[in-house]
Amino acid sequence: MQELNNKIAELLTNNLVSIFISYKKGLNGKIKPAFFTKPNEVYENYFGDEAQQNLAVYVHKPEVKKYSKVGILANIFALKALLQLYAENQIKDNYLTIVTVNQDNKVIVFADFNEIESYIAQHQIEKNTNKQKEINELLSLSREKRWEFWVEQLSSCIKCYACRAICPMCYCSKCTVELNQPQWISVPAHSLGNFEWHIMRMMHLACRCINCQECSRVCPMNIPLHLLTTKINSDMEEEFGQIAGMKTTLDFALNTFKVDDYENFIR
Amino acid sequence: MSRIGVFVCHCGENIGATVDCAEVAKMAKDFPGVAFSIDYKYMCSDPGQTLIKEAIKEHNLTGVVVAACSPRMHEPTFRKVAAEAGLNPYLCEMANLREHCSWVHYKDKSTTLKAAELVRMLVEKVKLNTPLYPIKVPVTKTALVIGGGIAGIQTALDIANSGHKVIMVEKSPSIGGHMSQLSETFPTLDCSQCILTPRMVEVAQHPNITLYTYAELESLDGFIGNFKATIKLKAKSVDHSVCNGCGECSAKCPIKKIPDEFNAGLGTRPAIYVPFPQAVPNKPVIDRDNCTYFRKNGKCGLCEKICPTKAIDFSQKDEFITVDVGAVVVTTGFDIKGTDFFPEYGYGKYKDIITGLQFERLASASGPTLGEIRRPSDGKIPQNIVFISCAGSRDPAKGIDYCSKICCMYLAKHAMLYKHKVHSGKASVFYMDIRAGGKTYEEFVRRAIEEDEVNYVRGRVSRIYEKDGKLIVKGVDTLLNSYPVEIEADMVVLGTAGIANPESESLAQKLHISYDQYHFFAEAHPKLRPVETNTAGIMLAGACQFPKDIPDSVSQASGAASKVSALFSQNELTRDPLIAFVNKNTCVGCFMCQSVCPYLAIEKEKIKAKDGSVIREVAKINPGLCQGCGTCVALCRSKSIDINGYSHKQVYAEVMSLFNERSLEYV
Repeated sequence: MQELNNKIAELLTNNLVSIFISYKKGLNGKIKPAFFTKPNEVYENYFGDEAQQNLAVYVHKPEVKKYSKVGILANIFALKALLQLYAENQIKDNYLTIVTVNQDNKVIVFADFNEIESYIAQHQIEKNTNKQKEINELLSLSREKRWEFWVEQLSSCIKCYACRAICPMCYCSKCTVELNQPQWISVPAHSLGNFEWHIMRMMHLACRCINCQECSRVCPMNIPLHLLTTKINSDMEEEFGQIAGMKTTLDFALNTFKVDDYENFIR
Repeated sequence: MSRIGVFVCHCGENIGATVDCAEVAKMAKDFPGVAFSIDYKYMCSDPGQTLIKEAIKEHNLTGVVVAACSPRMHEPTFRKVAAEAGLNPYLCEMANLREHCSWVHYKDKSTTLKAAELVRMLVEKVKLNTPLYPIKVPVTKTALVIGGGIAGIQTALDIANSGHKVIMVEKSPSIGGHMSQLSETFPTLDCSQCILTPRMVEVAQHPNITLYTYAELESLDGFIGNFKATIKLKAKSVDHSVCNGCGECSAKCPIKKIPDEFNAGLGTRPAIYVPFPQAVPNKPVIDRDNCTYFRKNGKCGLCEKICPTKAIDFSQKDEFITVDVGAVVVTTGFDIKGTDFFPEYGYGKYKDIITGLQFERLASASGPTLGEIRRPSDGKIPQNIVFISCAGSRDPAKGIDYCSKICCMYLAKHAMLYKHKVHSGKASVFYMDIRAGGKTYEEFVRRAIEEDEVNYVRGRVSRIYEKDGKLIVKGVDTLLNSYPVEIEADMVVLGTAGIANPESESLAQKLHISYDQYHFFAEAHPKLRPVETNTAGIMLAGACQFPKDIPDSVSQASGAASKVSALFSQNELTRDPLIAFVNKNTCVGCFMCQSVCPYLAIEKEKIKAKDGSVIREVAKINPGLCQGCGTCVALCRSKSIDINGYSHKQVYAEVMSLFNERSLEYV
């Protein structure tokens, strides 16, 4: 931890970054994001297993964007998100200084995104078998039962858009749901509007979602959105062999045609 | 307030017999915003057009819906009518009552209702139409011809003779293509070289033609009228501006055993070579893959020592040049399957089983045997030749599905040439059908059978094997109830299938043109636009589209040239403005649209602050390139791209008109 704090303080002191995004402990002991602009604030910095939140989401918030150079402490999900954002042309060169702490508690400062690409390739996230079990259980149900399940789950959505606010991939300045000329997606939190919203969001995340499952964690109504993201991610992997957040170049299943696409969904 | 006019056409019986057009017009009168509606038997005729023009003026219409045939057929007609009456042409839309209704349904009340609903959708759309103005783009009056075979030569000469500049790119060291390899040509048996070589010379000497041999297209950007082509000039290792073509180098080159491409592998050539004596340009290149100097680090260099003009330049490098062109004609020709493709004919292991192209070389005066028919294995004159047509063609099981078109004719010619040269010889042709469609083609085949006594056997050959220096050809005669036929032949000629060039797929991708399942380039319409591709400004000619004989290649080449000349006759091109545009305020610059655009029309635009610093990058659509396909519109997550004439608003209004205002009484 001390090594990390020293590194952050050093970056701030030497003006290599004007703001550093990291974690600190909140009043009730919960871990929350921290935004350090001065070296003497860094003592608050905290990094540990509880620091789960994907900080990559703050990179495209206007409050952060006004700083000329930004540093960020990234866990593996944040690294994947940042790599995907870079591939989607959302991170300018020489704008971010990305820091991570590896399993041996060693602080790593990445020189460029190619280094992140190879780091991610070496540090694969293991598949959560519990979640896969949940999905398999759901898939074993009949189509009607599954529909009922989602009607029940999604009817509780209050359209607070917390899922969108926490998602590092939801960076559009104007979301489709806010368009009203014409209004493709109905705004009220009724079943139809909720279905339209979540299905649309999942389609927009297909092959872009890095599966950090923050949307599920922040949902105040406890809707299991991670089931949708995990399923769509595994579908993308199985059908197109594509996993988001692995490469510096944009390789997007929905807008590329490859002769060797499996196409086993066409029957 | 919209004042829409609805004009329902009977299209004679086409629509009128199934749809009650008068009823549709009556119902349309009650749609909100419709000021006038009427039906008429032929709306596209002169009285029909007058009807529309007068109604626009009389009722002060703000939009027009013509409910008739397909917009592909008559949209330009009716838009012109609207323009003549003083309305912006893009305020006129068509509802397709023919393909979308009358042709696909029985006569019924519900069919008429569907017609009315199609009209209602279009009325809702036209209410949201905005006046649009055609886009004008300049034209570079230079054509790029890729491939210097007979199709390319004809295209280049026709374009050049109509006064426009042509750049021709040929990948091999000489132009001439397959035609230069042929002996005599059907159906008149005139010598191929005699009719081709003067044209090759004309290409080289024409003031309007710039010829790049030993060159390939590297990339093509841009759009109709304004392409930018990068051409790779492969290193020839010989300075052609100095070389006088004396041929000393080729004669002295110690490497002599390279299979000769021009002689289809039947002869050999040195590493520094001119493909054939009549080549254009008649100056050598060094084949670096086989030259000792390049393979063994500067050893040899004999040609450099003996060259009287010091033209050899081993240090030459591949050069890239970029040229501006307004149109591209692809004339890259075709290839044929080799004898190694056929297991039943020995996988190419028998030297005396040859392809049609190899026979051409044997029969040609410029060939390895100087025109005498001698078999490759021992140089003897074969006394019994078997020709097999459809070798690989029309064979869905293990070859290709299509008919290669030219083999019936050239095998008849081969048999005839053989009989003319070896009077005592016997020639047999195994065939499935004789396809001799073409002017004097059937007569030509009959001549081979009747006058030259070629033995035509209708049946397939199942196997060929060698026995005592003879090739045993086992087949059947299906006209004799599948009676087995066995011929002891001295030589066998396979009319192997014509296939696409191995590089055709990568070339199509460079040019962004479509190709079919066999990798032949695809024309825009098989009947009505056979020389254009789906990419505007790129034409096709010759066998790169499908195997063709010389007359067909030449006619298509002239067709392509006339398309290019028509394009070059204008200083500016006018295009429909139905193209996509980006909302810069909401575009987040993810550029996924860029990778999905099939026309490469999406560019990056920098939005700058007053001090010149870049705030962010957004997508920008090049109006010259965009074809209005709408793929980017569908992909854009924030719906920051919209398309003129088919906006989100318009499509939404069309769809919702069906849900919100459906007349339930008919359902």
